[in-house]
Amino acid sequence: MKPIRIALTKGRLEKTTIELLEKIGYNCDEVKNKGRRLILPVGNNDFEVVLAKAADVITYVEHGVCDLGVVGKDTILENGSSFYELADLGFGKCRFALATKKDSDFYGGYNTKTIATKYPNVTRSFFDDKNMDVRIIKIEGSVELAPLVGLADGIVDIVETGSTLKANGLEVIEWVTDISARLIANTASLKLRKKEIEELQNKLEAVTL
Amino acid sequence: MKRNLKITPEGTKDFLFAECSAMDDICGKIEGVFRSRGFKKVITPGIEFFDVFSVNCSGISQESMYKLTDNKGRLLVVRPDSTLPIARMVSSRLSNSTLPVRLYYKQAVYRNNPTLTGRRNEFMQMGVELLGVEEGIRPDLEILSTALSSISSIADDFRIELGHARVFDALSAELDIDENYKEKIRLSIESKNYSALNNLLDKLNPCKAVSAIRRLPSLFGGEEVFDKAYEICKGTGAVFALDYLSKIYNNLLPLGLGEKLIIDLGLVQRNDYYTGIVFCGYINGIGDAVISGGRYDKLLSEFDKPMGAAGFAIDTDAITIKRLSDKNSGYSDNPEVLIFANDGFEIEAINEVSRLNEIGIKAQFSVLPTLSQTKDFAHQRGIPEVREIG
Repeated sequence: MKPIRIALTKGRLEKTTIELLEKIGYNCDEVKNKGRRLILPVGNNDFEVVLAKAADVITYVEHGVCDLGVVGKDTILENGSSFYELADLGFGKCRFALATKKDSDFYGGYNTKTIATKYPNVTRSFFDDKNMDVRIIKIEGSVELAPLVGLADGIVDIVETGSTLKANGLEVIEWVTDISARLIANTASLKLRKKEIEELQNKLEAVTL
Repeated sequence: MKRNLKITPEGTKDFLFAECSAMDDICGKIEGVFRSRGFKKVITPGIEFFDVFSVNCSGISQESMYKLTDNKGRLLVVRPDSTLPIARMVSSRLSNSTLPVRLYYKQAVYRNNPTLTGRRNEFMQMGVELLGVEEGIRPDLEILSTALSSISSIADDFRIELGHARVFDALSAELDIDENYKEKIRLSIESKNYSALNNLLDKLNPCKAVSAIRRLPSLFGGEEVFDKAYEICKGTGAVFALDYLSKIYNNLLPLGLGEKLIIDLGLVQRNDYYTGIVFCGYINGIGDAVISGGRYDKLLSEFDKPMGAAGFAIDTDAITIKRLSDKNSGYSDNPEVLIFANDGFEIEAINEVSRLNEIGIKAQFSVLPTLSQTKDFAHQRGIPEVREIG
């Protein structure tokens, strides 16, 4: 039988996941010394780790070429569609927030507000829930710039410490949602390889608690 | 203007040679099962009125349908599903026939999926519908066993998971929540999203139903699921659904499916559409369900012809793609012999081709003008033998 394949979000989430896997007793030396390889064996070939960009983790799991994935809730909210979200792994914590220039009256007046964001879907559903029409502009880089140069009235973005906002004279006026790393599974894999996946999930949850 | 002269629209493709053979083979096997079970074939139009698919509980979103208009400006859609047209047909053209009716179909359906996701926007589906049935296990067992025979005719390594729409219905009815909130809970069960589910449930007053719903997504597996389920659902309205499900499960035991049959009480897909048993089928190597079906007793009321019904659909394209990716799938289109006729011997050669094909040798008549061209062609195509007649 093929080993279970797990897609990890490159970068910080990857590092923490590897630490967790080591804690529950899997040898991850190959991943730590990966060089340029993208598919790496873990433990005694118990499973394989694939390294990918956040949104691609979802794509690989959805299509079933990876059985499991570790990805941030932010990516799930923005790109998610059909897979199982098995567990909140509790690390990679941050929050989505709506921020504006300090002391501006965002909800005041009748004009339609403009929001700059890297997360148009998250933004759209946040304002849909408020029955509020907004104009959304997708920005690829530092979103904080948009309200400063007058492109937008506010931004929806990930906030960890809030220091970037502060340094640019912005403030959070509303929290949109909490974010952390999630364990996701392909729908067919969970049915076909229930035992193996549950075992790993239980071990991971035990160390994250 | 850029002309899209030589490409097909996203999510569609041409099927060539081995792909067609594999598809015919798979569909043929399934069709054999359907027919032997007494289901009769129907074909519905490729375009239908939008209204057919916008009935309550259709579960097909407006965004996913390809739309066009007829010359009176009425909204049409390219068939996104086959069950609703069949319900329309049964409520009109077959409304006077003796019930129940057993129908099967094999036709493409069209969905306008989000772009660049690699999903198929046109795909072949086969399925059966058993309409005009009473409450009770007989129709459900007939549909389930037909699904099992169909999937086992084309794959060895598969799983069928079985649930009941009323488990969630009954439990959520005991909560003081509106439809929106209920739908949020249902979605988080469907995606086995434990953290979202817990967040939603934490806002409600704790009661038996809340704690039962909390456990629903994890209630899947073998027979042991029933023990756990009875324990957590005791005293709630879900018990009768569990009784029914375990009756079905026990009836299926003699088929010796073992681990291939899973109970999943978190199966809440299209919960407003299904009214009784629901099931999905998975094949190793395919990342999505290849069979989905269940009991849908409410649908025909939407067409003013209330009757009980059950059915399922199979995604045969997914199975075809999987089959072709297997090594030694054995779909070769090459003939074994190429027959070349010298001038004046053409009909004799064509008769020889028929004779060989009858005895099981794949032969083909060469339409090329000379023997040497025929030999070159055979060489390039990898056809092992050329025979000369006359």
